[in-house]
Amino acid sequence: MERPGAAWAAPGLAFFFVFALLPMAGVVYLSFTSWDGLTSPKFTGLSNWNQFLSDGAVWQSTLLTGILLVGNMLVQAPLSILLGVWSAGYQRNRAVLSAVFFLPLLFSTAATSIMWRQLLDPNFGVPSKLGWLLGGNANLFGSQWGAITSLVLVTSWQYIPFHTLIYQGAARSIPETLYQAAAIDGAGRVRQFIHITLPQLRNAIITSSTFMVVGGLTAFDIVLLLTDGGPGTDTAILPFKMYQTAFQTYDFGYGSAIASFLLLVATGISLLLVKASGYDKMTSTMEGL
Amino acid sequence: MRDTISRRQALGGMLGIAGAAFMATACSSSGSSAGTGSAAGTGSATFWTLQDPTNKIQQAAVTSFNSAGHGKITLDIVPSAGYLDKLRTAMGSSEEPGLFFSWGGGNLDYYVQAGKLVDLDPSLKSHFLTSALQAGTSGGKLVGVPCRGTQPVFIFYNKDVFTAAGAQPPTTWAEVTDLVAKFKSKNITPFTIAGDANDSWTELMWIEYLVDRLAGPGLFAKIQGGDWSQWNDPAVLKAAQTIAQLVDSGAFGQNFASVTYGTGGTSTLLASGKAAMCLMGSWEYANQQGISASFAKNGLGYVTFPAIEGGKGDPANVVGNPSNYISITKAAPQQTAEDFLATTYSTSYLKGLIAMGEVPVTANAGQLLSGAPDPAYAGFLYDLVSKAPNFTQSWDQALGSTLATPMLTEIQKLFNGQDSPQQFVSNVLAIKK
Amino acid sequence: MKQRPNYAAGVAAVTWLLIIGVPLYALINTSLHGESVYADGGPLSAPTHLTTVNFGTVVSSGFLRDIGNTVVVAAMTVVIVLLFGVPISYAVVRGRGWTSSAVFRVFLLGLAIPAQAVIIPLFLIINHLGLYDTLWAIILPTAAFALPVSVLVLSGGMRDISGSLYEAMALDGASPARVLIQLVIPLSRGAIATTAVFAALQAWNGFLFPLIMTQSGSDKVVTLGLYNFVSEYGANVPALLAAVLLSAVPILIVYLFARRYLVMGLMGAGGK
Repeated sequence: MERPGAAWAAPGLAFFFVFALLPMAGVVYLSFTSWDGLTSPKFTGLSNWNQFLSDGAVWQSTLLTGILLVGNMLVQAPLSILLGVWSAGYQRNRAVLSAVFFLPLLFSTAATSIMWRQLLDPNFGVPSKLGWLLGGNANLFGSQWGAITSLVLVTSWQYIPFHTLIYQGAARSIPETLYQAAAIDGAGRVRQFIHITLPQLRNAIITSSTFMVVGGLTAFDIVLLLTDGGPGTDTAILPFKMYQTAFQTYDFGYGSAIASFLLLVATGISLLLVKASGYDKMTSTMEGL
Repeated sequence: MRDTISRRQALGGMLGIAGAAFMATACSSSGSSAGTGSAAGTGSATFWTLQDPTNKIQQAAVTSFNSAGHGKITLDIVPSAGYLDKLRTAMGSSEEPGLFFSWGGGNLDYYVQAGKLVDLDPSLKSHFLTSALQAGTSGGKLVGVPCRGTQPVFIFYNKDVFTAAGAQPPTTWAEVTDLVAKFKSKNITPFTIAGDANDSWTELMWIEYLVDRLAGPGLFAKIQGGDWSQWNDPAVLKAAQTIAQLVDSGAFGQNFASVTYGTGGTSTLLASGKAAMCLMGSWEYANQQGISASFAKNGLGYVTFPAIEGGKGDPANVVGNPSNYISITKAAPQQTAEDFLATTYSTSYLKGLIAMGEVPVTANAGQLLSGAPDPAYAGFLYDLVSKAPNFTQSWDQALGSTLATPMLTEIQKLFNGQDSPQQFVSNVLAIKK
Repeated sequence: MKQRPNYAAGVAAVTWLLIIGVPLYALINTSLHGESVYADGGPLSAPTHLTTVNFGTVVSSGFLRDIGNTVVVAAMTVVIVLLFGVPISYAVVRGRGWTSSAVFRVFLLGLAIPAQAVIIPLFLIINHLGLYDTLWAIILPTAAFALPVSVLVLSGGMRDISGSLYEAMALDGASPARVLIQLVIPLSRGAIATTAVFAALQAWNGFLFPLIMTQSGSDKVVTLGLYNFVSEYGANVPALLAAVLLSAVPILIVYLFARRYLVMGLMGAGGK
């Protein structure tokens, strides 16, 4: 009798329905229409979807989204793990440095992007003064790799502290006894790291990766403020392409098709994450400890 | 098991139907939510305008209008980042403004086709120069009246840099090529340009002038009129090839793709002497004043875009923004809004604009120009525009954002070397099928 | 762990310190310089000729109101997320029958779904509800899309409460409400803190929703304020960076006074 009935979840579910589920259904519906934002949508059947399937630009966007995601993970995951484990130590200098490491998190993504756009200006920013380091003309935003590197740099700068904290918390809860046993066995630092630390961080790695993937699918503001999808369309990731199609070219029907595709990919990723993490098995990690 | 599956399916189906039904009602009601404002005589209206130093002149006009008792106008100053897109969103929302500022051209056409704008009284035309009214006309009807000075595009140059190099501003294309080589050898960027993805309209200006000089204004007029296949004209390819040559010869410097427009970008580069010239609209003068008033007065030179040998276009033609326009939507109280339009040609308003360095496009503007703070500059602008056989509107404004956004992307790619001139032409052609 | 000092890690940590420190130095340095000094010297110039004029410029442009709006948005988002999230998680963890696991699955499905994908219909719904150009237009969708992660974290926290405690309260004849208030909420403080921090950060970082859903100056939030600032001040870089610096102040204040909860909240996301 002390168990809550389904009615407890009803208000929240209704709220989620109106502001999340209904819009999702709406996006799919709109993808079958043509709408300019001013007049009523006209039902056009599969025309948007036909265009979508033959649109090279959309596939390029999808590829770019994947590239950026992988690039970010490759840079952020190792650094965050190393920094997190390092700062889990209780030495005082580590505490002070950890406090400094936290600082990028104080800024919103928009603030960070705007700040970095200025700092990376070729004539007045850091590259102009550090020409010897960056080799020559510091035209970061003029090449695809320059632009992608800038995006990964800025995203990492902002989010590595966040992931570091996740790993720091997880590393601190690794029982000391495991390390002591390994030390007795003669395992050196590197082996301890590989065979004890990393496996114990498994849940943290999953959590951190979840956030990275979700972040990659929504990294709209950084792209808009740093490269505006440029040069040309070289960093026009899917969320950006959707925004541009709908709100700058006023083709809300096609924009909805792109958005529906984004939804599909995201739902697929959610399912994969849930399977990989075992979230839906509803087990506590405290069990058996 | 079978029960739960069918229950889930039922839920899913219901969700889908509910969603579609809701969307259908929501969409159609938003389509008709506009026009249910107080469309009667007098009342209050919002006037959306772009954020800009002339806002204080506008505010003064609004304040004095409000005190006259014809109704109440509220000036809503909207920052320029994505102004047209924001306006578009607002026009489709329940918060449609009663009056708004725009560049006229193709973007107004959308609103006219959606039935959102009010046709304005044709007698208003008598107050303005005919050439300036064209961008405010859609389908033969007047839907926007000029409310700003004219903004032609021409070459600004740094006089000190030229004197030090012993050079003269260019009047022919051959001279341009010489100057490019000369400044490059001195490590000065000949022409500064903002190749950043946000600012590719600065690159568009080059294409506008090249095509106009090579083929005359008729070519773009046809494109604007709906004949997209005109992009196939050899003049377009020639213009694109000229751009490629300029880029390759270092006319724009090496890192222009990362340079932004304005202060901290092209304007500062010109003012500091790191660049010699900049093709820009007349508003650049105000930018320069913001950086250094003494440079703007003494060191800033200006000259028209040179002629191109063998081109069909009249070298006296001009591209740029003929003006900016106020339009009235159906959500405004009609009497109040129309009465407010009279401020655009009132002497106090015009004098205010002139004092800020603008050259208005009213029929009587010439006489009022003596009050300009820099008479030489104002005179230059006025002569340039009044003597121009043709004033082509900036292509991105003339075509409207649906076509302009992808066009600007291709232009950026051309300048950045990502598109060859031939690819540029075929990609632009593919924008509209 | 008493071992010989880890030089490699130390070097890496110092390198990272530079990577964080240099841009931050550039930020603070530039915001304290006048425009002409910046044009000559760049962001890494020496800290001479300092001035606070930029902060005056920023404040007089109404930036403080933007910060105020953002604080309101963040606070209300947290309130709504907790108001709905806690009962949902409670029902998921302690409820019986297929409904509770179905509800959980619904939220899990929404885990990776980006709010931006549905901005177009959301605009229509918000418009229809007459909420366009109000702070609610930002708060409600942000809260809704923060629910999946929040439900995940909250239910994870609640699940860790030992079953025997529940049974004890059941023997006492407690109603579900009493169990929630007296047992579940106190014992899932950590998860609640994590959820609150996450929801607040989502709201704080929100950019696309404010961009599309609001227009007037009175409900501008900080991210939009910065974006507009770029065009408003013709890229007066020192003033712009001063605005960036100011935008971090609220979180800095939270950090200084509630550092423990902030860090615990962020750490708790992976602490299990």
